Formats: sequence, structure tokens, C-alpha cells
Amino acid sequence: MTINTHPALPEFEYFRPETLVEASEFLARYHGEARPFLGGTDVFVRMRDGFLAPKFLVDVKNLDGTNDLYFEPQAGLTLGAAVNMNRVIASPEVQAHYPLLAEACRSVASYQLRTRATVVGNICNASPAGDTIGACLTFDGVLNIHGVSGPRQEPLAAFFLGPGKTTLKPGDVVTAIHLPLPPEGCAGTYLKLGRNKLSDLSIVGVTALGYPDPSRPSGYRFRLALASVAPVPLVPAQAETYLANDTITPESIREAARLAAEDCSPIDDVRGSARYRKQMVRNLSARALTEVWERLK
Amino acid sequence: MAKVVTQNIPSPIGESKPRIDAREKVTGAAIYADDLQFGNALLHARIKRSPYPHAFIKKIDITKARALPGVKAIVTGQDFPGYIGLYLQDRYIFCRDRVRYVGDPVAGVAAISAEIAEKALSLIQVEYEVLEPVLDPEFGASPEAPLIHPDLGQYVVANFIFPQPGTNISNYFKIRKGDVTGTWKKCAAIVERKYRIPHIQHVPIEPHVAIARVDETGEITLWGSSQSPFAQRNLIAQSMGISQSDMRVIAPFVGGGFGSKAGVSMESLAVAIATKVKGHPVKLLLTREEEFFTAFVRQELVAYFKMGCDENGKLLAMENKFYWGGGAYTEYGVNVTRASGYSSSGPYEVPNVKTDSYCVYTNHPVGGPMRGFGMPEMHAGLEQCIDELALQIGMDVVEFRKLNCLKTGSILVTGSKMHPTGLLQCVEKAAAAIGWGKKAPPSAPNKRRGKGIALMWKAPAMPPNAGSSAWVELAEDGTLNVGVGGQELGQGVFTVAAQMAAAALGVPYESVRVATPVDTRYSPYEWQTVASRLTWSMGNAIVSAAKDARRQILEMVAEAWGETPEDLDIVNGVVVSFKSEKEISLKNLVIYGLPKPDDQGWRGGPVIGRGNFMPTYVTGLDPKTGQGERAVVHYTTGAQAVELEVDLETGCIEIIKGVSAFDVGKAINPEMVKAQMEGGFVQGMSSALFERLQLKDGVVQNPSFVDYRIATSADIPMDLQAFIVEMPQDDGPWGARGIGEHSMVPTIPAIANAICDAIGLRFEGPPFTAEKVYLAMLDAGIVK
Repeated sequence: MTINTHPALPEFEYFRPETLVEASEFLARYHGEARPFLGGTDVFVRMRDGFLAPKFLVDVKNLDGTNDLYFEPQAGLTLGAAVNMNRVIASPEVQAHYPLLAEACRSVASYQLRTRATVVGNICNASPAGDTIGACLTFDGVLNIHGVSGPRQEPLAAFFLGPGKTTLKPGDVVTAIHLPLPPEGCAGTYLKLGRNKLSDLSIVGVTALGYPDPSRPSGYRFRLALASVAPVPLVPAQAETYLANDTITPESIREAARLAAEDCSPIDDVRGSARYRKQMVRNLSARALTEVWERLK
Repeated sequence: MAKVVTQNIPSPIGESKPRIDAREKVTGAAIYADDLQFGNALLHARIKRSPYPHAFIKKIDITKARALPGVKAIVTGQDFPGYIGLYLQDRYIFCRDRVRYVGDPVAGVAAISAEIAEKALSLIQVEYEVLEPVLDPEFGASPEAPLIHPDLGQYVVANFIFPQPGTNISNYFKIRKGDVTGTWKKCAAIVERKYRIPHIQHVPIEPHVAIARVDETGEITLWGSSQSPFAQRNLIAQSMGISQSDMRVIAPFVGGGFGSKAGVSMESLAVAIATKVKGHPVKLLLTREEEFFTAFVRQELVAYFKMGCDENGKLLAMENKFYWGGGAYTEYGVNVTRASGYSSSGPYEVPNVKTDSYCVYTNHPVGGPMRGFGMPEMHAGLEQCIDELALQIGMDVVEFRKLNCLKTGSILVTGSKMHPTGLLQCVEKAAAAIGWGKKAPPSAPNKRRGKGIALMWKAPAMPPNAGSSAWVELAEDGTLNVGVGGQELGQGVFTVAAQMAAAALGVPYESVRVATPVDTRYSPYEWQTVASRLTWSMGNAIVSAAKDARRQILEMVAEAWGETPEDLDIVNGVVVSFKSEKEISLKNLVIYGLPKPDDQGWRGGPVIGRGNFMPTYVTGLDPKTGQGERAVVHYTTGAQAVELEVDLETGCIEIIKGVSAFDVGKAINPEMVKAQMEGGFVQGMSSALFERLQLKDGVVQNPSFVDYRIATSADIPMDLQAFIVEMPQDDGPWGARGIGEHSMVPTIPAIANAICDAIGLRFEGPPFTAEKVYLAMLDAGIVK
């Protein structure tokens, strides 16, 4: 490792398209050279540190609908790509129907950064550590994407391919994340473990959402998403299935947590060891599930 | 018991006056070095640094870089043969033949823009021959280690520092007191432990910045963020081969120093480059990344302790060995080794002590002074051993400390006698406030709760004759202007200066200004703003200067009124006579004097008072035994106690309550003293729980705030308490002594002792991160 002594933002050209069509065309034409950005809280830092050097930065804020945050009682929440996290946190609809999402946003960085950072940016950055991705996954989020052949939708669950890698194709701009109506009677929590209490990246993050589901043998359905313990934001399917099929007890929660830890494949890095991370997935999954279960009972 | 002197304490001494610099800092009006504007002539400097921890420089090729348009100067070590250093001159300004840490300056560039300077760096080609690095101080001290400074024997060194030529040991300090070897068999309990304290960084909010300009006659002006403008004047002048009076240092407010801006570090680079582009100011501003690995870091420490007591818990012997990882250059850090040696008993009376304290060169970043100057690192292990020894003999750890701690008249580890000290009161106050002996249940079933306590002592570590001076003058409106050479680092020294000047002269606090910024051309001499010495040392100089002015005023008025100065006083800016009950405002008379009757001329003249202070009583220590009459000026003592919870599921530690009690002699401004105690506790807590430079093969792995975590406001316990104990210092202004550094000295061991109380585990060293604590609990079978 060598230390970059004077990190500096490389030169780039700023491009602000007037329409989504223009944005998609530009991004497709300059594929590999152009990169869309929203709040810029990740892209500028990565450019400064020398990991990215796009020739063009395409500002996709202020395009059709990207600044909208609206809740439809029949359909759910649509969160425009350019809506910053502090707006999400302050939104009465989010607080009323998706408090888990607000909680996840509150755990990100600092207040100042959250006035720039966006949920969709957090998703598109595709870091396994993304704090708000778990909430969007457990709510079965769907991405609204504008590409060269027009708008389409893609489920978030299949979106992540690896660190920084997604299914987005040349010319694609994510315009919004749509969260369907939350399951009736649901409760959720996001447990973030950082090295200190404020503004750290997560060593491990555990999102848990639970709700009554009479169609399941246990009578409940639990959703889990794990941050910073795999190449992608991880949904530990074994654990979810286990809890759907077994009676919910402290023992079955412990077993589900063990299964969640089994599913993950963390690495050693400066923030934490793989050994500790695995242990924390187990313990925090158990804690999160217990907390949610207490609220459902 | 020594006689406690009671004296009248004049206003505003002991009053929590608002900070004199609060308004300009809160509004953003305060000027820092990076705010200064230099116009078009300004050039930007960048430093080419070594990528290797240890290597010979075979060749430096600057031809391509020099040809780059916009580059005005490129310098290398060949341009500057002089050594530089505070106590041991072991540094070149730019490396000449060898690099000794990753980041060591190899070449410097000045260009018309930062971007061009940066581009030029990439065009400088350096050929190295890589050498085996030394990455551990204990290994570094061994005969097997490769030599980092083969010329150690030729370096200029202060007479109280003892380098060992032919080794990597740049200072070796010994204590030989009593008979340690023969005492072990008399001990009823003995504890032997090893601790390792990692390198940490000071992380001031404001990074290092220096702007240097050399004029046509060769006079140098340096603007910088500095704790030591006068020491910089002296050391840089010596190194550049110019006279001190041809070197001028201007030092505006400092946005945090903690020791990292003491002495000379990157400033000499800016000055050296500026000599090649006369007339141009050359600015060097460290990035946060550079701050982490090229500015001073705190030395690391490998410490061995052995201590024993009799069956009643009375300490009988200590045998300590300290290997200080001084980094690549130890010009300043050598004195940490000495300070930890003459303080190596901790704040206890121990009849038999053997200490070997080594300062060892390593190929790590440059170790230097940091808040506490070795004391937090040394106390970290020592105060844990005290806990273990007490428990082994079956004593309560507070009772054990009360029995053994220094009292007035105790014989110190250096053989001298302890001056009046309120350490016992500090222990009692801290123990009472934390509810010692009462066990509170944890807040949740998955938590364990514990309490811990630790004591400390620390003397200002400085040359025996570190001096201060001050002047005061008054304006027509009776406002007092105080000239000082000490620096405001956020610790509040300008406020204290104003309070002391106001009290000593007799004007309201609100009528005092401090003459800033510190400028070596106009400000009075001050050795350095370090060692928590200013309230005491500079304070004495200010009082002396204010009294000098006061004497001049009273003599003039007495003469005018036909009275004696003894009958007069200055109260609230008005001269009053107790005898005649006359009074006259200071306004105008302090400039114009007073007219004689009947238009027969005038008496007096502009009043200017001067004062200085320098301790004259500090004696040397025997190099063989470390014994001497009076090794230091005084010791500030104190105690901290904490209550915390350990989360069994994560290993996270939550400090629930922190208590500090320190004997400050006299609190000139009690709220600011308490703020120092709180701030020190938080910085100590941060170093206990989070902070560590992660070094791998000499490379810092976490040179940014992303991965070098420091405590945020959310990590601070809601319940922080501070208690002031006042056992006056015989030669301090109104009895005051320092508190700035001391408040982070006992924090690591207080927290470590509380963790052990909670879960029964001890660690080789901080930080006690959640991961370290959890995995230790897992390995110990406390959790599954």
C-alpha cells in the first residue's frame, strides 16, 4: 500500500441533461467515460482518492420526477433519486409507513452529509456497507430505471452483482426507488455496528423486518438483510425460510441468527476481522429479530 | 505539613470569566494561518516523500521536474547540510543520504500553483536502495537491529540526554534508588506485567500550515500554526546558519495543537524552499493524509513493570523497563524517555526503584510530544499493575492507593521531597463521586458493569531554565494591553493572561486586551507553549509585568499627591488613596502623566511594565542513579474514575460516567479548568477506546478519519464531573499550576480497570475496541 499524499479531484466535465432521454443517450454514447451522480457524497470522495476518473459527470438531479417523494395509499412510496436522506427522515409518510427506512437513513454519516446523500445513490453505489439498502430490500423495493429504450422496472433483490457492480446497462439512470405498501402490522429495525457511535461505516449492519403472515406455519414472516459481510448486500435466505417454517421462540431466533451467520462471507479489513463480523452477524441478527418479535407479539 | 499560605485573592482570579477569544472564534472572525492572504507572489509547495521505511538514497533526478513550466524551485537535501532538533539534533531538513520513514521528505517543490507543484513531484525520480526496517522498539534496542542513525555519536545533544552511539538508543535514562533486588524477597505480593501502547495521532482540526518568505537581505519571515514561535526562531535560524534576529515568526491562533505543533516540524521545509525563491512567500499546507503520517505522532511504548508490596499493602519496590518507539527522529521525543524515567514510580512513594527507560529509533513516523508527554502511556500500564497488586494482597484498590500515594513531604523516586499536594483529596473526591464500593446492576441482562479508578502525576517536562516574559502597557482609555509570547491553542491561556494582568494591576477584566498575534519581533520571549507550563510560568511573568506598571503608576500619583505608594491602590482602573481618600482614573495619566501645579511642567510618562520568570532552582540528576535535589519545578496530581458497561453481544464499551479531580494549586478560571478536565477525559477516552495508527511494514493503513476513529460528541458520557482541588504552588501565580495535559493521563488505566472489574479481563494495550473486547471474551469463554 502507498499513501496518496495529496488526493485531489481530477479534472472532469460536468454535464446536466435537460431530459431523461438526453441523459440516457449521453450516458450510452459515452459509456465507460460518463458517470451519473446524485448527491456526489460517494463519487467525489472516490474520485478524490483516485479510484474513479470519469471524463464526464452527468448530473441526474432535477430530471423528471427525481425530486419527488410521494406516498399512494394503494401503491406505496416512490422516492425520487434526488431526494436527500434528511428529506426522507423528515417525511411524515415515511415516518408513518416506513419508519425502518428513516431509521436506516439516520445511521448514515452526519447530518451535513445527509443533506446531499440520497437513498438511490446509496443503492447505485452498490457498496455492501450501504446502510439504507437493507430497508429497501426488506420492503421488496423496485427500481424505476430510465434507459435508452425507455423506462422500466427492476426488483432491487436482483440488482447487486458485486462491490460497485449492478445490473445497470449503458445509458441507464435510476430515477426512483419504489417501495410497495408495507406488510400489514410490520415492525422493523436496523442495527448498525460501527467502531464508534457516530458517522462510521458499518462493520456489520443488520436490517430486520417482521410481520404476521397466517399463510406460514410460524404465523409470521421475517425478512433480513446484512451489510458489510459479503460482496453484495446479503439476504440470508436460509434464516428467513427457517423462521417462516418454525414456531418463533428465543431458541428458533437463535438458530435463525446462526443460519444468517452461516450465509455470510465477510473479509478481514482495517475496520474489522472476518471472525468478529461473523459473530456479530449472529448476535445482532438475534438481537434485531428479538426486538422485532417483541414488538409483533 | 507545609504551611498553607492564605492570601487575598483579588478579582477576577478564581472567577469564571468568559473567554477573551470566544466572540471572534464563534463568529468566524478569528484569523488562522491558512486565512492569511499573500497575493500573486505566493508560491505553493509540495513535498516528495519516501515510499520506503528505510532506504539509502542513491540518486535524485530533478531535471524533468525543473523543466516543467510554472516550477520555480526544487530543493533536495544537498542544498541544506545543517541538522535540526530540539534536544538532539538528528534531523536534516531534507533527507541527504538515507530515508528513515515512509513520508520522510526527499525533495521540495515551489510552483505557481498547487497542481503544477504536484505534477512536478511525479517528475522527480529517486533511486533507492532498500534497507531492512526496524518496526519494533524492543527489537530496535537489541544488538541485532540494523542501525538507523550510524552518526548518533556525532549529533549535538542537550546535557541531560544520553544517546548510546553504535545502537538505536537515542536516550537512556536510569533510576537506581535503594535496593530493588534485595527487596523482592520481603514482598508479600508481586505483580509483573508487559504493556504495549500504540502510536496515535494528535488530529488537530487545523492541519499544519506554514508560509515562509525570505527577503533580499536574507531575513526570513515565517507565518504558521505554531505552539513554539520562539523555539522555531531559534532552531530554524541555527539550522539555516543565520542569526536569530534575522528570523521572524508570526503565529496567529492555533486550531488545536496537542503537542504536534511544538518544536519544529514541517515549518523548516517551507523555509528551506523559500530560500531559493527570494521575495516569494512559499506556502506548505499539509493534507489530512500527511497530517497522519508526516506530522508528529505519539511515541509507542513497550513497558515492563514489576512491583511488590508488603502484607499491609505498602509498596516496597518497582522495577520498570520502558522501550519508547521514538520513530525515525527523536530530537524532541528523547525527553519523553527522561520524563517517564523521573516519574516512573507513578504518584507513589516507593523506597526501592530501578528503572531503565530507552528511547529507540524505529522506521515509523516521527514520535514527538503529545498531550501528557509520555505520562498517559506510562500510567496506562502502571496503574493497572497497582490494581492487580492491591487485589492480590486483598486490599481495596482505593485504600491501597490512599495508603501509598504521594503526600506532602513524601520522598520521590528521584530522591527529592514532594511539595504540598492534594492528591489524597483528589482520590477521595473521585472515589466518592463514582460511588466507589457500591455495585450498581447492569442496565440490561446482556451487559456487565464495572468501575475503575486511576491516579496520575506529571511535571512540566522542559529544560531546567525554560523562561517566560511579558509586558503590559495602557492606552489613553485606561485599557490594558498584555504582551505575551505564549500561544492560544484553545486551552484558554489568553483569557487567563488577561485575568491575571487585570488582577495584578487593578483594572476590570473587560478592560484588558492581549496583544496578538504572537510575533517574535514584537512579542516578549516565551520558550514554548507546551508542558502545561504557561498559567504558572508565563503567569508569573505577567504578574511581574503588571506589578511593574502598577509600581510606576503609584509612584507617580503618590508624588503628585504628596503621599506614599503604600497608601495607594488601584481598584477598577482608578487610583485611590486610603489616606486622603482621593481618587483618579487611570485614563490619560498612563500616557500623558500628571501636570505639576501651576503649570510647572509634568511628571510621569507612558507606562510600560515588564516582567519575566525563569525557574532557577532545578538541579541535574545523577546520570548513574537518576537521583537529585530537585529534578522538576513541580508535579500536578489527580485522579479519574469511570463507570462503564460492556455489551456482551458486541464487546462495545459504553462509558456511563467519568469523574476527574485534579490539584491545580489555584483555579484562575474554574470553568475553564473544568473544561480542561472534561476535554482531557474525552481525548483520553478516545485513545483508550478507538485510536491507533495501524502500521504495516512502516505504512500507516488508516491515514484518514474514515478509518482513524476519534470520539465524537455522541461517544461522550452524559455524566462527566470535574472537581478542583487547590493546594497552592509556592511559586505559582496565586498558587496556580498547570492542568492542560494532566486530564488525559489516567484515563486509559481508569477505563482498563473498569473493564477488568466488569468482565475480569485485561489487555496488552489500548485501544479497547469492541472487536478486541468481544473476541477476548469469546476466547475466555465469557461469551459463546
